[in-house]
Amino acid sequence: MIHNERPLSPDLQIYRPQLTSVLSIAHRLTGVALGIGSPLLVWWLLAAAAGPSAYAALQGFLASWLGLLLLLGWTFSLFYHLCNGIRHLFWDAGYGFDLETIYASGWTVVTVSIGLTLAAWIFGCGMKG
Amino acid sequence: MLIKSSDQLPSVTVLKRFPVPRNFGVSAPSRIERGKTWPAPVGATRIGKFEIYRYDPESGTNPRTDTYAVDLDRCGPMVLDALIKIKDEIDSTLTFRRSCREGVCGSCAMNIDGTNWLACTRFIADTAEPATIYPLNHLRVIKDLVPDLTHLYAQYALIEPWLKTKTAAPERERLQSSEDAEDLNGEDGKGPAACILCFCCTAGCPSHWWNGNRFLGPAALIQAWRWLADSRDDATGERLDDLEDPFRLYRCHTILNCTRTCPKGLNPGKAIASIKKMIAERRS
Amino acid sequence: MARKQTRSWVGRTQGLGSAREGVGHWWMQRVTAVALIPLTLWFAASLIARARGDYGALILWLRTPSTSVLMVLLLIALFYHMALGLQVVIEDYAHNDRIKLPAVVVVHLASFALAAAGIATTLRIALGG
Repeated sequence: MIHNERPLSPDLQIYRPQLTSVLSIAHRLTGVALGIGSPLLVWWLLAAAAGPSAYAALQGFLASWLGLLLLLGWTFSLFYHLCNGIRHLFWDAGYGFDLETIYASGWTVVTVSIGLTLAAWIFGCGMKG
Repeated sequence: MLIKSSDQLPSVTVLKRFPVPRNFGVSAPSRIERGKTWPAPVGATRIGKFEIYRYDPESGTNPRTDTYAVDLDRCGPMVLDALIKIKDEIDSTLTFRRSCREGVCGSCAMNIDGTNWLACTRFIADTAEPATIYPLNHLRVIKDLVPDLTHLYAQYALIEPWLKTKTAAPERERLQSSEDAEDLNGEDGKGPAACILCFCCTAGCPSHWWNGNRFLGPAALIQAWRWLADSRDDATGERLDDLEDPFRLYRCHTILNCTRTCPKGLNPGKAIASIKKMIAERRS
Repeated sequence: MARKQTRSWVGRTQGLGSAREGVGHWWMQRVTAVALIPLTLWFAASLIARARGDYGALILWLRTPSTSVLMVLLLIALFYHMALGLQVVIEDYAHNDRIKLPAVVVVHLASFALAAAGIATTLRIALGG
């Protein structure tokens, strides 16, 4: 096929995923996920205000496998976005820009977010009231 | 897995590229096809393979990747040596920019094994097998590994990279303390003034990929910082006015691919954060 | 047929000139982020502690003055932060003005509406009803 326009060199198709870009896109994805989940927060408040039967309906949905999956996704998104958000705030203040700190703080964020998610679920499932 | 400087290579490769189709989101003229595999040199014991992006503007065909086999025992140690050997002995149509061959001019910047670096300072021994070589990302390709850098130079010119003073010229030089000079040169020689304008950083910035027409990118911005930080410059306010824009500056989301990839070990991410801090400071 | 590009390289790179603003958005994103650190931790911890509790206990907790105030603060900070964040995401990926501008407006209006609904409900629970 004959083309007259200069081709564009590849970018996302061939660039190596690195901790920098992967944690950054994860921050965006978790942020958007939390945004999509934010109406649930309002729905929860509305259900609580509406009375025990409305609340029980919501609780029923949240206890279903889909609800639990969504809650798991949202709790991880919350903790990851929170921890990486704090990392971002340090950068905004001007700290932590050498590569060694970028990588160490990055791995710390990943570990702590997974840890907080597990702790929240283990603790939450164990609570009796 | 813990990177301490940009010249450190990753010890583990989990993903060589993002899991998207080969020609994902690519328009028809830019789709890369499988090209030719050149025969291995006769009698060579150590062979290195190079999969190189090729584009011939005169043929009107799509870009493709050709694979070359190089006798490493008869080749210099750097990727640039392999490219020159291929051009000399195997395929003289292979086209690429190069000049100093010692990592100071920035001409041979290209994407090697997925990250941007200078071909003359990348050891062949540190590349994958086959080594994949592409031009700098998201740029119009003139031919083979030669991208059109016009827009990047225009963005550099936009930040007005020259000294702007409002005081009369002194008899000799405008004085600067060694601490002030260190802001530009860096205590380790890796300050913003040491940038060689190779554009590895800008070509590796996803924000510049998606908004490069309006976002200035790390190369132009580290140079903008170089002039903001220069104690001899008197136009700091005007420079900040021109930078404070949702696209020119604030498309930077601190992704930090730039700092990761700089072949001279500079820190554009940090420079951009300093610009944002200066803008925030002047209104508090 | 797209109009032929005849502007010079200098003109094209200049665009419409610098907007001379942008720090306000950047600053408020950081301010709401700082506010959200303690607020989301408080909210997550409170919910986890009450994960398997009954409806009555939940309403009692929601009625306490400190809970109502913190909940209102959380809703304001959260939806403001979300609106700013989603605006940046849309601006990054949508380049057609006919999609970008309405999308940004919808995001801001929806965030405001959700925040208003949440705050009104919180106050309704707190003040009786």
